[in-house]
Amino acid sequence: MKKSVYKSAMSRVKTSENFEEATYRKLMSEMEKTTPSKINDQKERVRMNTAKKRTITGWSIGIAACAVLSVSLIATNQTAPKLPGQPPTTITQPPISGKVAVNIDGVITEVSADGKSFKVGDLWVQVTDQTKLGSNEPTATAPSEELLQKEFKVGNIVSGYTSQDVGSGKVTADVIYNNMAPAKEEASAPPVTGKAMVNIDGQITEVSADGKSFKVGDLWVTVTDDTLLGIPGPTAAEPSEELLQKEFKVGNIVSGYTSEDLSTGKVNATRIYNNMAPQQ
Amino acid sequence: MYNSYELNESVRRALDQYSQSMIKIAFTYLKNIADAEEVAQDVFLAYLQKRPVFESSEHEKAWLIRTTINKSKNMLKTGWFKSRNPVPEDLSYLPKEENEVLQAVLALDKKYRIPIHLHYYEGYSIQEIAAIMRTKSATVGTWLARGRLILKEKIGGLEDEKISL
Repeated sequence: MKKSVYKSAMSRVKTSENFEEATYRKLMSEMEKTTPSKINDQKERVRMNTAKKRTITGWSIGIAACAVLSVSLIATNQTAPKLPGQPPTTITQPPISGKVAVNIDGVITEVSADGKSFKVGDLWVQVTDQTKLGSNEPTATAPSEELLQKEFKVGNIVSGYTSQDVGSGKVTADVIYNNMAPAKEEASAPPVTGKAMVNIDGQITEVSADGKSFKVGDLWVTVTDDTLLGIPGPTAAEPSEELLQKEFKVGNIVSGYTSEDLSTGKVNATRIYNNMAPQQ
Repeated sequence: MYNSYELNESVRRALDQYSQSMIKIAFTYLKNIADAEEVAQDVFLAYLQKRPVFESSEHEKAWLIRTTINKSKNMLKTGWFKSRNPVPEDLSYLPKEENEVLQAVLALDKKYRIPIHLHYYEGYSIQEIAAIMRTKSATVGTWLARGRLILKEKIGGLEDEKISL
């Protein structure tokens, strides 16, 4: 075979006339599509994909969490007592078409003579034989007499809903979840018993003659046999002599707490964590 | 590393200088110009994406040829390529002698075609072909000898033609 013949033949083989220009345009368009940082860095692309996936996952989890919270809040609010002073709330105008459920939620301000209608805000609500009492959710517990009283009284807190037009000012309740007396003031009052702990923290400015009392700020603190020494807890290390010296000296830094009233200016320490010399 | 301007320039220069060689190599493998051009485009795309750094223009050409051969092999392996039955490339526009020679080379087994093409068309020596194909020089020598023998039986040839080592 003659070399020149083969070379000549292959040279004559026709290719696309605009191959170079078409290829160049294609390459440039590819280059525009991929930013320089993406062209040669597969890892970055993977990271970006992962980041997007994470973002989507994060949003999904967030939305799911919001949905769960919303459901739980609604469920809680159905059984939670309302403050007597809270104004009744009703949802604003329903849409023109379609059937929507409008919440009935508030304090009864008026009850009809037959006891089968009550007023919440500006809305008269009638309870008929068709009205369901209590929640019909599968996981709901049976309504107690306390939460769903048979008699509607002024001041009672009611919750439920109606599918009728609230614009008429008078509706029939579809469901009444709760009808309960308002919580008494005593029940919501905070406990009066209990003991508060107050920190003792500072530098000793004075020490008594017997060495069992010291002054931190304006407070005289006495260490008794009942005073606990050191930091409690299963993971706490044994107090060293450096951090918890036996002798209270002027200038030492002490920390601890007392359960006694500070207003007297003199307390017994409940616990002393540290009693250490100041750093030089 | 290239900046975008340098990259554009190097791609354009490579297109000008080597695209025909690459198409012909791919054609030797695939026996179809359209497929060969597609492979060549893929090679330039890889060139753009990988931005290889070359020591010389010869190194650059060798990389492009090597990549063309690899991509041609890959295309041959694809299912759609195997399953189709393409119309043979029309080379009737070539002079009779050239047509016969080209058809004879294309009829060779592909392991002989590429060394023959690289030697007779590109002018590479056995060692250079071995480097491009990442094989031993002796193997390339054997392929060339066998390829030439088959061609000689088919179309005759110059027995005294030397192959540079």
